[in-house]
Amino acid sequence: MPEIIFANEQKTLSVTNGTTVLEAARQLGIVLETPCNGMGTCGKCKIKIGSDYFLACQKNITENITVFTENKENENKTLQILSGGQSCSCQLKPFISKQFDGEKTVVYGGNSALGTESGDTSKSCYGITVDIGTTTLVVAIINLSSGKEIVSESRLNPQSTYAQDVLSRIHFASNHEGLNVLQNVLIDALNEMIGTLSEKAKISTKNIYEIVYSGNTAMLHLACGIDPKPLGQYPYLSQIHGGEYFTALKLNISPFGVIYLPPIISAFVGADITSGILASQLYEQKETILFIDIGTNGEMVLAKNGALAATSTAAGPAFEGMNITCGMRAGNGAVERFCINNDGSIDYQVIGGTRATGICGSGLLDITGELVRQGIIGKSGRFTSQKTIDGLREKDGKKVFFVTDDVYLTQNDVRQIQLAKGAVRSGIESLLMKMNLKKEEVNRIEIAGSFGYHLNEKSLLSIGLLPPEFEGKVTFVGNTAQSGGTAFLLNVDFRTKMLNVASEIQKIELANNENFEKIFVASLGF
Amino acid sequence: MTELTQQQFFEQLSQAVVDQDETLAEKIATIIVRNGLDCAKAIETGLGGGMAKVGQLYETGEYFIPDLLVCADTVQNAAAILRTGLLQNPLSKGRVVLGTIFGDTHDIGKNIVALFLNSAGYEVLDLGKDVSAHLFVDEAVKWNADIIAVSTLMTTTMKNIKEVIDLLVAENKRNRFRVMVGGKPISHDFATKIKADGYANNAVQAVKLLDDTISKLRRNER
Repeated sequence: MPEIIFANEQKTLSVTNGTTVLEAARQLGIVLETPCNGMGTCGKCKIKIGSDYFLACQKNITENITVFTENKENENKTLQILSGGQSCSCQLKPFISKQFDGEKTVVYGGNSALGTESGDTSKSCYGITVDIGTTTLVVAIINLSSGKEIVSESRLNPQSTYAQDVLSRIHFASNHEGLNVLQNVLIDALNEMIGTLSEKAKISTKNIYEIVYSGNTAMLHLACGIDPKPLGQYPYLSQIHGGEYFTALKLNISPFGVIYLPPIISAFVGADITSGILASQLYEQKETILFIDIGTNGEMVLAKNGALAATSTAAGPAFEGMNITCGMRAGNGAVERFCINNDGSIDYQVIGGTRATGICGSGLLDITGELVRQGIIGKSGRFTSQKTIDGLREKDGKKVFFVTDDVYLTQNDVRQIQLAKGAVRSGIESLLMKMNLKKEEVNRIEIAGSFGYHLNEKSLLSIGLLPPEFEGKVTFVGNTAQSGGTAFLLNVDFRTKMLNVASEIQKIELANNENFEKIFVASLGF
Repeated sequence: MTELTQQQFFEQLSQAVVDQDETLAEKIATIIVRNGLDCAKAIETGLGGGMAKVGQLYETGEYFIPDLLVCADTVQNAAAILRTGLLQNPLSKGRVVLGTIFGDTHDIGKNIVALFLNSAGYEVLDLGKDVSAHLFVDEAVKWNADIIAVSTLMTTTMKNIKEVIDLLVAENKRNRFRVMVGGKPISHDFATKIKADGYANNAVQAVKLLDDTISKLRRNER
């Protein structure tokens, strides 16, 4: 059997002849980016053998080899993940309470005693909110006595090593073994984060009694070890409905700690959106508000005088810089802002102030938006030949826009962005139609999600992700999955309230809308 | 009319398809019919050639989904005019039963494939979305189809496609149909693995795949 050595990681594995480098890496728990899921199309799993580069997913191991991976060790450190978001004010009335009876402290969950601790520990009472995103995890420790967030940390969701997007992850977990793998790597990561955070906050993990899991429906299935298979097949049914409690035995908190799962709206609109609705108080607003989480799933909620309709759109990973030639996550080296000045010169901003090595989602939208605004990219999305600009040059016989000599945007990249923004835009159009609303009747657009926070309104309008009628009405509300999760933690009354709100939301399945195809095609242009 | 001008008309027709100029394409088609030129050849080289070029442009990213739709429209309208000039009823190139596999309700890509196959002269029976293996097989038998074309957008429903092939084998009908697969998560390897007869990456490739397959079939029949 040939042997593969991963030089940077100092790990070795004997494999059967013909195993791919990617398969070997996964067995060793080495993270290689695979947004295309090993189809050989995205080029993100590049590795070096000798002086040659290969794609790990396509390179079969037939002899002893030594492989050099790109060092991603620091990615978690420089990655920009937003942990805070707009929140609602709430009265402090947590589910967890403690009472010292002169001898021991009793910990209550609601009205029932969960357990007792010796001595007076009533002053030490903490909870955790976890936003389980497909790509990122955000964990925060909240002081349940003061209502304050003490510390928070974010990192990449380790499940993406095994399967990048939601559907591949459902597929991976559709047998018992796969589900176990994905649940365990998540639990391990959460325990690690809880460990470092509690150390940082100088508290004992034993004094953490409740964890609120915010996240999309599929991630919550995986986190709770529930078979996600039905989510990936029509009629796309969620196996859990939220508004329920699980034991937290696998998590490194108090032995009688519990997990609370906020209400889940549907298979593709999860508890993260319920948390968002809570944080934005959408159900109490008199105005007409469109709430959008711009990400891989593009979930959105339209609120008209407190009546809510929700849907999700398959935007794909382009907004996260995936499936884009020079795309990358929002870490050091990523072009995150870009504009073309009146004199034709360009300005851009790189995360970390370093040399540009790629483009992240916000940069992509800025670049595309500016090129559309200048008429370099036409209505159909094609690089036009009428207008020219510095940076628009040929590469391998095709027109490409160069931001720097190494970082550029291709015609096919523009197509990926069109598909992603077309999906979101057609979701908006469908929701408005369903609620009989004209675009100008929408008073406010709230863009949520850690990714959304880095976007700017002008670009969203220029590329037509949002219609022109929304100009001047856009606010960025941040990671409301996190802030809404905190609200659930701090006031137990929200739990019954949101159970009602979630059950009354009109759930729209876009695939069942007969006009969807027409709307989608019409939404692709700029 | 000399051979040269006939060829020129076909080239113009082909260019009109590429330029997505429906009016011009219809105008040229009408002239071709009026002048008694070879309408069958106009469909094959003029419209067919135009579509092939559009396919290339799509693959390099120059053209996009809306362009494909307009081109297909242009071809269909021009073909309808050209068919009135055919000496005999046009032979269908073949019969295709197509649909999105059960468990999946995404059908925009599948619809574009149907449109292109239709424009290219195939008879297409579109079974829609969330189609069971039984329905694929039963309809193919009932309609005496040559090809069963199965699509999916989701990784989670890829494996369902194999059930169509398994059912054909179980019912001893595997040799009666060629099974073609496609859709975003599908690859050539996957097609080989489930023992499908062919895979196409996009609508234009699908036409080419079917053209090759059908011509091989017909050759064997002879």
